[in-house]
Amino acid sequence: MRTVTLTVEFAVRELRERFAGSFAGILWAVFQPALQLAIFAFVFVKVFNAKIPGANAPGYVAFLAVALWPWTAFSDAILQATRAIQDNAALIGKVAFPRAVLVVARVCSSFAIHLLGFVVIISILAIFDDSVRLGSGFLFSLLLFLPLFVLALGISLLFAAVQVFVRDLVQLLTQLLPLLLYCAPVFYDRAIMPAEYRPWLSLNPFTFYAEAFHASVLGHGEIAPSGIAYALLVAALAFLIGWRLFARLDRHFEDFL
Amino acid sequence: MSEVLVRTEGLGKSYPKSFHHRDRIRALWRLLVSRREIASTAVLSDVSIEVRRGESLGLIGANGAGKSTLLKLISGVLTPTTGTLAVHGEVGALLELGAGFHLEHTGRENIMMTAALHGMTGARLNACMPTIIEFADIGHYIDEPVKHYSSGMVVRLGFAIIAVLKPDLLITDEVLAVGDEAFQKKCIRWMQDYLDDGGTLILVSHSMYHIQKLCRHACWLRDGRVAMSGDVFDVTQAYLAFQELKLAAQESGAARAGGKLEFMVEDVQLDDVEGELPLVIEQGKGFNVKLRLRSRDGRRPVIAVGIVRADGTPVYGVSSEMDGYQPALDSTGETRCTLCFDDPQLLPGSYTVRVHPLDPEGLRVFDTVERPLVVRGSTSEFGLVRLAHRWLPPNGEMA
Repeated sequence: MRTVTLTVEFAVRELRERFAGSFAGILWAVFQPALQLAIFAFVFVKVFNAKIPGANAPGYVAFLAVALWPWTAFSDAILQATRAIQDNAALIGKVAFPRAVLVVARVCSSFAIHLLGFVVIISILAIFDDSVRLGSGFLFSLLLFLPLFVLALGISLLFAAVQVFVRDLVQLLTQLLPLLLYCAPVFYDRAIMPAEYRPWLSLNPFTFYAEAFHASVLGHGEIAPSGIAYALLVAALAFLIGWRLFARLDRHFEDFL
Repeated sequence: MSEVLVRTEGLGKSYPKSFHHRDRIRALWRLLVSRREIASTAVLSDVSIEVRRGESLGLIGANGAGKSTLLKLISGVLTPTTGTLAVHGEVGALLELGAGFHLEHTGRENIMMTAALHGMTGARLNACMPTIIEFADIGHYIDEPVKHYSSGMVVRLGFAIIAVLKPDLLITDEVLAVGDEAFQKKCIRWMQDYLDDGGTLILVSHSMYHIQKLCRHACWLRDGRVAMSGDVFDVTQAYLAFQELKLAAQESGAARAGGKLEFMVEDVQLDDVEGELPLVIEQGKGFNVKLRLRSRDGRRPVIAVGIVRADGTPVYGVSSEMDGYQPALDSTGETRCTLCFDDPQLLPGSYTVRVHPLDPEGLRVFDTVERPLVVRGSTSEFGLVRLAHRWLPPNGEMA
């Protein structure tokens, strides 16, 4: 019980801190990705003239937005949470409490911000683009955030623990996460890839989510039950490994902070 | 016997020797895969203590003796490397300054956070908030970021939260030293009330006054080990005596090593005792201090002689200048003289006789030589010396 209230307290504090001192405050949660989406939309639609192949294909902007928001939640959560232990070194040195709370709180706050952004932007897109469906498909897409959250949490726990020992990890992550983004069908559809590369995309844990969001919100492609099973398994495994490793290293944090 | 709140057996803590990048990666590898020992420095070893509910334990020792490490272990911030540690009940720890406050947040926000860390939220917190703010007594600063606080205000706030939380076991690390006089008094009064109500306290302080006032037991840590533990007065006495000795050894050692002094004590003898053995006298008997001093440039030194108790408390000091005695130098610059304490009135105990030569102006101390003195006796009077006194009946006349 204490752990839950503590997590909520830390997550709220995290949210406040992230937007502290800025005029727009929490609006930035929607503002910033929207701006990014506008830039991408300009570059890809106007400059590269990007289109999604297929007869009933959705518009490119909707296609991009539907997968980009979950990705932002996912990558932002990992980046923020990896530094959670390191950033709170002073607190860890003075007060005894379950340290995993710090990591969970950061992942929660990232997901809260971007989930809100997702809902807002999809609602807006639904006005302009009738391929965006606000019905059951949209509700299902919200469910998809759950395994994505567990996956992000597992990876974050692992990285946050390792970051205490090897401080280069965050630097490396800022380089590697975009690579993972480009290797998932977020900016493009899997169908436009040369056939021999297509299966490789499935190795990327985010590929399932990108395609599942496209399918549920836009009705573009479909979700295979095996894909869901695979994604749930990966998420559970990531969480287990992350949790175990964090628990193992937890007692040594103070020595290395 | 009341319930045991803290019990440690053979408790030890080592920090890894690291801090090259490679060491950190190697440490991670060893922790995860090979599980071999990491090269480490022991800061605390083989500490076995027990604190029962309602007890108060003072931890004393020099800087770096491991006091804070022990507190961190008990409060759960650190995990022990060796030995076992069992803690029952809710622990409220005030470790060092700051108590884990976030500098950018206001005092009020930090109260909420800290309270949540101790498991207090919602209605209970709202009810306690005014009490905390009142106890901290830092005025409008409560709504300003903690980074604008003085160190005293930070401690006030930290202590106020703990005071209202009233944990089963209170751990504080040298926090009283920062607050001002009024707040110190307030804290001490609070701690006394807390102890009277059956609270349990572990206190680290360099102020023997605070330790003796608040604690009934004390534990002296030296180089990470328990040097002595037991009744607070015994332990603090022994600790002070040890500190005094160490300091004296350092001072005279440093001076003598620094080359020939302008004025030097060649020899001090108490009665006829050779070397540095103690002179043992019966209470009420006198003794002589035989001195041999040397002056390098033929100027006459002022000779100061003092008697201190074993823990460093001065009993009496006097110099040749005060008494108008002029030591006579021979052609080699040496002077011999004897100071007679015919009727010293010292009560039984261990004392030290100190001799210092000073420059002719009586301003600079050049050397220190000490000789131990033991007074034996079976009187039950208290203190250091017998003061002349007498009793008068109600209508008695002054004799």
